[in-house]
This record gives sequence, C-alpha cells and structure tokens, in this order.
Amino acid sequence: MKLSTGDRWDLIDKISKETVTFGAYKHTLKDAIGELTVKPMTGIPVAIAIMYGFWSMFGSFAGFFTDGFFVRLFDAYWLPWLQEVFPGQGGWLYAIMVDAGGIESGEFVLSSNCLESFGVLTSGLFVAIGVVLPAIIIFYLMLALLEDIGYMPRLAVLLDTVLHRVGLHGYAIVPTILSLGCNVPGVTATRILETKKQRFIMMTLLAIFIPCGAQIGIMQDVVPDLMGWILLYLIIGYFIFGYILNKIVPGKAPEFLIDVPPYRRPMPSNIGKKVGGRVRGFFMIAIPFVLIGCALVGILYQLGVIQFLGDMLAPVFVGWFGVPAETAGPLIAAFLRKDLAVAQLSVIEMTKYQMITAVVLVSIYFPCVATFAMMLKEGWKELLGSLAVLTVVVFAYGGLIHLIGKLLGVA
Amino acid sequence: MKILLMGHPNVGKSVFFNRLTGANVTESNYPGTMVDYTKGWMKIEGEDVEIVDVPGTFSLDPKDRAEEVAVAMLHENRDAKVISVIDASKIERGIYLALEIIEEGYPLVIALNMRDVAEDKNIVIDADRLERILGIPVVSTVAIAGEGIKELVSRLKEAKPINVEDIIANAANASNTESVADAGGAA
Repeated sequence: MKLSTGDRWDLIDKISKETVTFGAYKHTLKDAIGELTVKPMTGIPVAIAIMYGFWSMFGSFAGFFTDGFFVRLFDAYWLPWLQEVFPGQGGWLYAIMVDAGGIESGEFVLSSNCLESFGVLTSGLFVAIGVVLPAIIIFYLMLALLEDIGYMPRLAVLLDTVLHRVGLHGYAIVPTILSLGCNVPGVTATRILETKKQRFIMMTLLAIFIPCGAQIGIMQDVVPDLMGWILLYLIIGYFIFGYILNKIVPGKAPEFLIDVPPYRRPMPSNIGKKVGGRVRGFFMIAIPFVLIGCALVGILYQLGVIQFLGDMLAPVFVGWFGVPAETAGPLIAAFLRKDLAVAQLSVIEMTKYQMITAVVLVSIYFPCVATFAMMLKEGWKELLGSLAVLTVVVFAYGGLIHLIGKLLGVA
Repeated sequence: MKILLMGHPNVGKSVFFNRLTGANVTESNYPGTMVDYTKGWMKIEGEDVEIVDVPGTFSLDPKDRAEEVAVAMLHENRDAKVISVIDASKIERGIYLALEIIEEGYPLVIALNMRDVAEDKNIVIDADRLERILGIPVVSTVAIAGEGIKELVSRLKEAKPINVEDIIANAANASNTESVADAGGAA
C-alpha cells in the first residue's frame, strides 16, 4: 500500500513522538563559528581571507617546486642531455621529440630552456610534470580541506545573491570551484542544479571562463605578473555573459534550499585518498593529452600548417584581437591542452597587453577535448548551444579586450 | 544479492560505501558530492554482494538530474535490498524517504548515522523502539569512525518487505501502551 504525502507525515509524527526526545538546544562554539562564516558582515571578510590564503598557498607551493626544483632539473640536466643523446639533430623527428630550435643569424641553434624547445619529451614532460603536477596537488589538497571541513555550502549561501544575477544560485559555486581544478568534473557537477536552463548556463560559463588548475599553474609560472589582469577579465566575462545568458535563455532559475552541514574535523586518511584519487585521475587524462598535443603541434609546424593558418588568420588575429599571427599555433594546441597552449604563448614575442589578450583568448576560445567529450555526454543540443555562445563570446569579448587596450593606450 | 545505499544528500552514504567495499569514493562534507552512482563488491557470509552507492535524494519524486539517477537506480533493481542511511539529527525526513521505499515493497535496513552529531544537538533516539514500530532492523552508526558497521552488515539478512499498514498499527499500539504506562505512573 502507498500512503499519501499527508498520511505519511502523520505516521512519521507518531513514530517520532514515540522514539525521539529533543533535549534543550545548546549554542555551541561550532554553531557560533558556523554563523560567523555565513552572516555577510563577518562571512564576506572570512571568505576573502580564505580565498587569499588559498591563492597564496597555491602560488608558493607550486612556485617552490616548479621554480625551485623542476625548472633546474629540466633546463640544466634533462634538456641538454636529451639534446646531446637524441639522434638526428636538425631533423623533423628531433624537432618534434626534443627541440625545434631556432635560426639565429642563419645558423641553427638549440633552445636554452624547456618552454622554447617545443619537444614532446622536453616541453611536454616539463609542462605536465614540472608545472602542472605541483599545481594540481596543492589545489586538490586545499579543496579537499575546504570540502571536508564543510566550508563549501557556506560559501554557497554567501554568494547566492550575486549568482542569482547570472541565472544561477549559490550552489553553482560548487561546479565553479571544481572546474578550477579541472573542467571535466565541473561539468558533471552541474547535475546538482535543478533546471535545464541553469545547467546550460553553468556548463557554458565553465567551459568558457573558468581556467583549469593546469592552466592556472602554467600561467603562474610563465606570466605571474599578468595573472591579476587575466583573472579579472575572466571573472568579469563570467558575470557579463552569465547576465546576458540569463536574459535570453528560456526557463526557470529557482531558489535553492540547502542543508548547511556542521563543521567537521577533516580526516587525514580521507583527504589523502581524495587528493590521491583526483591527482591520479587527472594525470590519466592530462599526460597523454599534453604529449599528444605537443606532438601534434610539432608535426603541424613541420608541415607548415601553422604558418599557413597564421598567415591566413592574420587579419583576424592582428586586426580584431590585436595579437601576433603566431598565436594560431597555441590556439590549435589549446584544443588538446590549455596548459600547453599557455606555455607556447609564453615564448612568442609580444607586448604585455597582447599577452594578456592572448592568454584570455586561449582560455575562452574552446573547451579542451576532455571537457568537450564530457559536455557531449551531458547532451549534444546543449553542447551545440554552448559552442554557439562560445563563438559569439570569443569575437565579442576578444574584440572588447582589444578595444579596452586601445582606449587605455596599451594595445 | 544487490544492496543499494540510499538516503538524503550528505548523510554519509559514500562513507558507508567505502567502509563496506574498501573502495575510494570521494567523501565530502557537502551535499551533492555524488551525482552518479558507483558500484562495488563485498563478501557477506561467503556470498558476493554488490553494493551501489546511489546519489542522494530527498524523495522518490526527483528534483534534479542527480535525484533522477537515484530514483532510476532504485526502480531498475526491483530485487535489491536497501540500506536507508538516515541523518540521526534529522530523523523525520529521513524516515519519509525510508517509508516511500518500504511502500514500494523493498526490504530495508535503517542506518541511523551521525549519532554523534545528534548527541551534540541533544537529540536522543530510541532505536529499539523505532525498530519495533517499523518492524525492520535499525542500527545506530557513526560511519566515519566505523561504529555500527559490523552490526549493520550482520543484520542485513533480517531485512524483509513490510506492509506499511503494519507500521501504522504498530505506531498506534506503541502510543497506547505508553499512555497506559503514563497513566499508571501518574496514579
């Protein structure tokens, strides 16, 4: 037999009267801390402090391992050794696997570091292991701490009002933050949103405006002084286009109800397992794609395809976005791995503002192939819609950034 | 045999799952960590048992995609037993979902999880009495510390389909006997 909702609640009332005794409610320290982090007056400063702490830990940990250890390992030992022992210097295989080198005053010269060399075994491995691995480990460690303590739902409550402006609600912070690690689990996490409209807006904004941990890691390494501008442009874009999408996408954006769980002491074993699992999962996808991406771009260079595309698209790149035509290469690599694309951008000669524009373009221009596949899994109609939005965003926002640069007199 | 772990979001289903199967499903302190199901295996008295960690759902009337996955999971496994994981500090609505599953004829065991949190809030639950009223095993647990997991597993075999009319009758009976007892005490 099935009960009606009312009858079921009546029965539950009876049962609970018989079995549950509620003692006097005590206001504990845990409750007090919980309230302080949710009430806007105290919660917003706490949130800013936590985010700042997150960021500085991220920067110093990743910097310590990348600059302090891997850069030396790769540039001083690994690269010269490979340049020495790999056969066929100057040939196409050597160029793809080790070092494409450069021509200086008519002579072939070897690269001096692992970002310039463009080889699968040099740049590819350096980006994957030397830069992205430390960034991802520290990111997931801190994320796991925030998750297990129980801070995420409180952040959701705090940001609820702001996120309603873009058709979402506070809980959208969960897919957004997960995407800062990797967009793939971010896309899956959009399932916690109630309506199709919300999922579409969230997925589109993630794919376009949220840089993943790998990408942030490499940005932090190669263009640390421009990070602020790049992130600012991405955050502004997230809200501008979220606002527009909210106006034009049909459907509802309901309120959210959430149980804010009590704060808990994180368990080291759970943190360890979680970080380990996520880092492993990430690397199963990342390493092959970085290496394949590196090889593919190397081959396209060797075949002259990138130079051809660069020449053909030069009017768009130079005229509309205000970046050098050579950025065509990194943009192709960006489809496979955005971290790789940023690494390649860093060795192209351009002004600071052009670099900001180019890195923002790499972020927004296309989701990487793993994210693309995940979006397809969630629905091809949504994917097509997202791609349409993306095309518009790239041209509109890319052009706007160029225009802002011109008005500021820096582009 | 197949066992589904079901309950509201953030009641600790994944903690149970990891404890039972030795697997590594992500556990977090926020609702909605699991948006898809995970399967694992364990041995109970020599028998291989499949355990499914179902995404959290408030009722069998889904409100989002993750809940749809949960309800579909239940309906695709008509022969499964269910471990209904309930947050002991929010017992009423946990029982709501448990009743819905019982009404659909599934054999059920209740895990009253997070007993420690309930105790912090000064909520005391008479698990024995609850067990007598519902007619199914009710086990108090603190899954994160491993308390009560063994008892829960050993009592899985007692799970059986229950007619909700019996529960209504038991509840009425229980309140009668108690009022008689109260009257006696007063006199």
